[in-house]
Amino acid sequence: MGWINPYHLQVASFLLINVILGVSIYVTLSTGQLSLGNAGFMSIGAYTTALLATKYGLPIPAGIVLGSLLAGAAGVLVGIPSLRLSGVYLAIATLGFGEVIRAVAINWESLTGGAVGVAAIPQMGRVLFARARDLGFSPDAVGLRPNQFISLSVFLILAALTALVVAFFLRLGRSRVGRAYTAIKLDERAAEAAGIPVTYYKVLAFSQGATVSGLAGALFAHSTSFISPSDFTYHRAVEILVFAVFGGSGHLFGPVFGATFLTLLPEALRAISHYRYILYGVLLVLTMVYRPQGVIDPPLLRRFRRTRAGGTA
Amino acid sequence: MNALLFLQGIGKDFGGLSALSDISFSVREGEILGVIGPNGAGKTTLFNVITALFPPTAGQVIFDGESIRGLAPHAIARRGIGRTFQSIRLFPTMTVEENVMVGRHCRSGAGVWRGVLRTRGQREEERKIRERTRELLDLVGLSGADPGQAAGSLPYGHQRRLEIARALATGPRLLLLDEPAAGMNEAETQEVFGLIRRVRSLGVTILLIEHDMSLVMKACDRLVVFHFGRKIAEGSPAAIQNDPRVIEAYLGAREGQEDA
Repeated sequence: MGWINPYHLQVASFLLINVILGVSIYVTLSTGQLSLGNAGFMSIGAYTTALLATKYGLPIPAGIVLGSLLAGAAGVLVGIPSLRLSGVYLAIATLGFGEVIRAVAINWESLTGGAVGVAAIPQMGRVLFARARDLGFSPDAVGLRPNQFISLSVFLILAALTALVVAFFLRLGRSRVGRAYTAIKLDERAAEAAGIPVTYYKVLAFSQGATVSGLAGALFAHSTSFISPSDFTYHRAVEILVFAVFGGSGHLFGPVFGATFLTLLPEALRAISHYRYILYGVLLVLTMVYRPQGVIDPPLLRRFRRTRAGGTA
Repeated sequence: MNALLFLQGIGKDFGGLSALSDISFSVREGEILGVIGPNGAGKTTLFNVITALFPPTAGQVIFDGESIRGLAPHAIARRGIGRTFQSIRLFPTMTVEENVMVGRHCRSGAGVWRGVLRTRGQREEERKIRERTRELLDLVGLSGADPGQAAGSLPYGHQRRLEIARALATGPRLLLLDEPAAGMNEAETQEVFGLIRRVRSLGVTILLIEHDMSLVMKACDRLVVFHFGRKIAEGSPAAIQNDPRVIEAYLGAREGQEDA
């Protein structure tokens, strides 16, 4: 089991959190609303579970659920006034929201620890390791060193949750609600005349996006064991946006691909990882010039599916 | 002679500009009522007022005995008023089938969890939605089109029919058609005429805006005529054709009359 490299697993874990963030921006976008507040919602999820765990000893799963739900509730509160906004105005307002949350996190020192952040958050893998040891299980039994066991369990938990989140929204997309989302994105007026309660679905999608961001934040907190306001800056918001712009926002797999590719790219090119944001900028410009709909779009997926079907026939 | 829709003193101002004023008439259950008038007479505005895309600034809209003023557009669709748009407004990148399925939204109920868990009830509901969709595509004459193709890639005339199918999917008792034959040739217009009659025979009352006069005269039981946001005449097609106010609105006053 020597090939299990904790560093690679850690990269893979951050990749999965980024995939969840990609899903979060997609969900809101699937009703035609561009929210740049997902870094803010992410920090709500992260801080909620981190504080509950460090101050009150709340179990990790409960903290993750509460963090996600609180972010979702904040999504409703932000989503309702945002109904009056669209396009860039919505983007600016939600970006402002994210900055407000960050300002609160920095300045409410007694609760959040201010700019220093929250440390010693229980890490999922280590907690699981301790539990396993208490039960008399030793990772040696399956040929793993403790740090291998820890990073592998974090990765597997995240992989399972990411798969659940992706499956959830794939299925939602192919249901009655998903059709309503797409109809609203394509033509709000026609959608409401065809009997779709546009306001309800826009707030629902906004809140779902916020919940998923909150989930990503909570998972992030319990994967790293340390969070601070600098984890949830404007840069994070833009990074999430780039997942969707580069990967494509016409299908759920777009941002999933974007998050995967853009997380792996700097790892593959370690030498230039300092220039990550420059690379992002270049990629964005190239995408806008050559493929404005993003790398992945529904026609591409259809062609891929047809080729595969033809290949097996 | 039951009035399905009753408009009472409808007015609509756009910032001081009066688009509709004091419009009153009723649509009887089961009839095809034509709304005609020169461009800019306020016909489409009337549709937008009825379906609450623009709320009226004055007057009452009574549908099936109840006021629907102040209801949201989707709630009005649910009450039983469907519509099409003058400039076709399909969901172009959704498939033909999905466009109609969207219309079934207000007659079905599976929410987020049932949709994600694919419960037995949800699958049964989806099956019914698809079945109804096929029936409607059949009804409007699109049974030959690929239901999986993007709606935006359909030929123009087929897009108009698809929009009617989507409106019918909402299960309307009153259907508002805004120039369903616009941009069509003689043969296609005839097909639209046949479709309108078929829809009426299913028990749907129709309010029709149309510029093609031969279609209007043939298809409609009664007509109301708009001019500069006012109703200037109402009656049978034959009576309207000979109404001097209508002729004046369309052709302008005769010189002799102007002097009088």
